[in-house]
Amino acid sequence: MIAVELRKLFRRPRTWVTIGLLNGLPVLVAVLLALTDLAPRPGEGPVFLSAVLTNGTLYPLAALAIVLPLFLPIAVSVVAGEAVAGEAQAGTLRYLLARPAGRTRLLVAKLVAVIAFVLVTVVVVAAVGYLTGQLLFDVSPIGGTALSGTTLTSQEIAGRTLLAIGYVTVSMLGVAAFALFFSTLTDSPLGATLGALAVLIASSLLFTLDAASAFAPYLPTRYWLAFVDLFRDPILWRDVVRGVALQGVYVVVLVGAAWANFTTKDVTS
Amino acid sequence: MVGLVAVLLALPSVIGALPASDAGTPAADLRRAVLASADVPFAGYAQSAGGLDLPVGDQLTSAADLFSDRTTMRAWYRGPADWRVDVVAPTGETGVHADPGGTWTWTWERAVATRTAPSPLALPTAPDLLPSALGRRLLSEATDAELTRVGAERVAGRDALGVRLRPADAASSVSRVDVWVDEASGVPLRVQVFGADGDRPALDTSFLEFEPTTPPAEVTAFDPPADAELREGQDAQLLQSAVRAAEDGRRVRLPAALAGLDRRTIEGAPRSVGLYGRGVTLLAVSPLPGRAADGLRDALVRAPGAVVDDLGVRISAGPLGLMLVDGEDGPVLLTGTVELDALAAAATELVPAW
Repeated sequence: MIAVELRKLFRRPRTWVTIGLLNGLPVLVAVLLALTDLAPRPGEGPVFLSAVLTNGTLYPLAALAIVLPLFLPIAVSVVAGEAVAGEAQAGTLRYLLARPAGRTRLLVAKLVAVIAFVLVTVVVVAAVGYLTGQLLFDVSPIGGTALSGTTLTSQEIAGRTLLAIGYVTVSMLGVAAFALFFSTLTDSPLGATLGALAVLIASSLLFTLDAASAFAPYLPTRYWLAFVDLFRDPILWRDVVRGVALQGVYVVVLVGAAWANFTTKDVTS
Repeated sequence: MVGLVAVLLALPSVIGALPASDAGTPAADLRRAVLASADVPFAGYAQSAGGLDLPVGDQLTSAADLFSDRTTMRAWYRGPADWRVDVVAPTGETGVHADPGGTWTWTWERAVATRTAPSPLALPTAPDLLPSALGRRLLSEATDAELTRVGAERVAGRDALGVRLRPADAASSVSRVDVWVDEASGVPLRVQVFGADGDRPALDTSFLEFEPTTPPAEVTAFDPPADAELREGQDAQLLQSAVRAAEDGRRVRLPAALAGLDRRTIEGAPRSVGLYGRGVTLLAVSPLPGRAADGLRDALVRAPGAVVDDLGVRISAGPLGLMLVDGEDGPVLLTGTVELDALAAAATELVPAW
């Protein structure tokens, strides 16, 4: 059943159009920077973007930082929100459940497909960012400079970039868990998607308020940008570890709630 | 499921509320332990939060930001002349590395490494806000009569003993300073500075993680990257401009006392720069270059609560007071942790001296 769901997801043109569009903005930004030689002022704009003119090796990270706040969560919410509600809206859910596999296996298959989409999407954004950086910007052969001013070899940059890709993927799993949970509550994939996005927008807003600082550590978007800490020297693991743990709690709780809801609900469509 | 979530959410608060052991150490002994902790090595992670909106113009923005924003710092301390403090931000990092010859300040966003020699005149920087440095500085000149004990708390997962400083000087705008001291090492773990009017601290700086361990030497050392731009530190420039201002004739003839505060000696500083007071009650007087004074005057006049009169313009931001006086030979800045009335009194005493 997992293979079926994966084939269904990745054979769907809409999936690749989504991934393609997601890469459009970082590529456009890179072309504009290369043509104009005008990077954002230091400390402004997406992280790492001000540094890519002198070192294109960092562009995969800049590309992730560009799509992380909005476009990546939207793409993940659309796919995860459609997982169950999309089948219900199309009227195919009851036929899927007529198979002897059972609801739990169907939900697991949907979950695995969503995780695969998240991973593929993040890797493609980083890969396209890497190619763009190599083609459009100067690339230092000896590596680059860590945020702390020490020199990182090309191998170290590659290793830390892989860690960053993994971290961003984990961060997006929390988004997917929200959308998947909402997807089991409604027959409208749009409603599930918007529900997940509403949670993220509320989280981002509350994070900026000092008055909400008491529960800021529990906001789902709180540690999203902590992948930057992987490029400090020594690596600052504090927020990275907290970010992974927080997303883990959200995934476990929300997927558990989705399972509890999906396995007990009346499916009529 | 709901119960599990509730337990997970409550865990940090429960751990934080664990009762701290209070050794019953007298306040004076605690102060001595703090002053003796300058050689204690440690590694830590700290945050400071300031609520002061300082209208200082464009020249001193970075210093003003320290007192108005939240600053997150990583620190490695091997000794008084061998340490590193990084200010970590979501979009970059600024690291200060100290060695016996001065400090290197690395700013990643600008790829600039700035060398600053030890200077008698220095603008506040992030390392000054580290609880260990700030607590030691604020308690250094306190008298035993100004100190009381205020119980114990858990700070950074460690038992911290509280000592409260209430400055005796009538001119002081600081109502109290609470310092929470690591029971085991004597290093201040949290410092809260309160103005005259507030129950909320005007400045609150605290370690969130603290480990009394000796960091490796390679962590505190710094070699500027090959492609970095090298600059001379702003502190040296500030000292030079003060010297120039004095040489250009903008001398301030400074009396032995101002607003009831005695003048103190700053080794190596130009004679036109004066520092008055003791402990947490300090008043600095310095001539300002004309361009810097113009921007500052505009910012001060526009600030809420600014008092403009024949003496000049003065404002208070929490416990910090600023006053710009148009002296006989040019503008003069008075600033410190004193009340507005004390600033006015100081200006009145300064004018006849000119």
